[in-house]
Amino acid sequence: MQIKIENLSYVYSPRTPFEKTALKDISFTVNEGDTMGIVGATGSGKSTLSRHLNALIRIQSGRIMLGDADLSQRKVDLKAVRKKVGMLFQFPEYQLFADTVRKDVAFGPMNFGINDAEASAAAAEALSLVGLDIAEVGDKSPFELSGGQMRRVAIAGVIASKPEVLVLDEPTAGLDPAGKREILELVKKLKSSFVKTVIIVSHNMDEIAEYCNRVAVLDEGRLIADTTPDGLFNHSDVVDNTELDYPHTVKIKRKLAKRGFVVDSPALNVEQLTEGILGRLAE
Amino acid sequence: MNDNARATQEAVITADGVSFSYRSGEYVSRGVREINLEVMRGEFLVILGRNGSGKSTLAKLLNGFLVPDTGKVTVLGTDTSDDDKVYEVRSKVGMVFQNPDNQMVASVIENDVAFGPENLGIPREEIEKRVTAALEIVGMSEYRKGSPNKLSGGQKQRIAIAAILAMLPEVVILDESTAMLDPKGRREIMETVLKLNREKGMTVVLITHYMDEAIEADRIFVMNDGEIVSSGAPREVFADAESLKAAGLELPAASRISLKLAEAGYDVPFAITDEELADSVCRLK
Repeated sequence: MQIKIENLSYVYSPRTPFEKTALKDISFTVNEGDTMGIVGATGSGKSTLSRHLNALIRIQSGRIMLGDADLSQRKVDLKAVRKKVGMLFQFPEYQLFADTVRKDVAFGPMNFGINDAEASAAAAEALSLVGLDIAEVGDKSPFELSGGQMRRVAIAGVIASKPEVLVLDEPTAGLDPAGKREILELVKKLKSSFVKTVIIVSHNMDEIAEYCNRVAVLDEGRLIADTTPDGLFNHSDVVDNTELDYPHTVKIKRKLAKRGFVVDSPALNVEQLTEGILGRLAE
Repeated sequence: MNDNARATQEAVITADGVSFSYRSGEYVSRGVREINLEVMRGEFLVILGRNGSGKSTLAKLLNGFLVPDTGKVTVLGTDTSDDDKVYEVRSKVGMVFQNPDNQMVASVIENDVAFGPENLGIPREEIEKRVTAALEIVGMSEYRKGSPNKLSGGQKQRIAIAAILAMLPEVVILDESTAMLDPKGRREIMETVLKLNREKGMTVVLITHYMDEAIEADRIFVMNDGEIVSSGAPREVFADAESLKAAGLELPAASRISLKLAEAGYDVPFAITDEELADSVCRLK
């Protein structure tokens, strides 16, 4: 399913003294199979944009096509849209609420109108996809689990409804490095399941560089780049002109280049940069 | 780099054979076991560990927030288990927490910073002076009359640090105070911490899971599963890749690249900073 965003604009509190433009004339397309990063400073419109994607915000002007469904139409079937586009908010473990893990994960599918047995099966499948065993954790309170496990339960709760598109808002914030890697590897793995397309909103350029094939940059509500991580970090001046950062390995590459050691590699992760350095040394 | 002349031989906090477990009903979960450490006046100490390693429990034991089951914690000679001295201990060891939004108490920044000393019954003029000095150190003077809810996460954490400094503590503990911040916010806090320690001589204990925040430390303690598994200067601790891996930590990018280059047969010494790595790579060409 393709997501096509056309001339999307959004203003908070229009025609009041508090009027604030959050999105200005944004157009881009996310193709099935993409892992798309959305980056930008705090207040650049990332969250407003991502909330449009599963119709938590109704469109004021412009258009979003989710496959054949036009979200700007009044009559759009919101339930169907939200079943197709799963949304994981920041610090999702704070949104766990049920007294057992099983009930928490089954809550979504049950709201989409399937019976208890089917919801329970969906919960078991979702938990196993995130690497948890329902027999082991199903009857525990979600609040007995570790931080990383709680976040995985929250992800299971979203994917239990089998969304085709997964929108993740800062999915690794607050986790330690091992926990971050675990979640990102999990997202990668989910893409070989029913989840076809992933959209990650993040401040962490290392993650965007390593895990996304495309990246969109927002700046004060405008789309100022729609490119690949290589294009953004190695072949544009967008980072220098915004409050964004380079991925750590690209910083090292740039430091080397300043000293006359030019590495021919996108350097989007440690492996690529090491290969680039080795290649140059072998010349 | 790590021979900080400000670190002295005088222990401000001492933990001696400290163990602590969390209990709720029948359920006992292990916090920390047999911890021995001293925090020296003027040093920048980092406690590294993954989520659940016990590092935050240890932080809370160091300022008397928690009291050991066995063993003893003393702050400038005062036992933290002495109920009569609890406020004295906490005013000497200030703590900055993880979530910037949970630490703001007032609607104007200067009132937020003044909240601590006001509770200690400090005279008004003295409080004014302290607020001015504290905001100056964290670089937030121009926001004095503003509201905290318009600030970025990094700025809020700097206000939280200022609020601690206004109590004139002997030690500042930062308990994962950068974990919820974006890269810019993290940088702001690390710069503030280094300035506090290097320029003002403040004793700082930083609790974190980011190894790159530990590079500038005088000493590092690595925790795993409630115990201290290694300690020493950053270079010593980082060089023991196996035990770091076992503790669930990740070496900085520069270290990983230097190891890979050495593995490939190049004469590249173990690097802990980007600068060191760049130096040795450029030397090869």
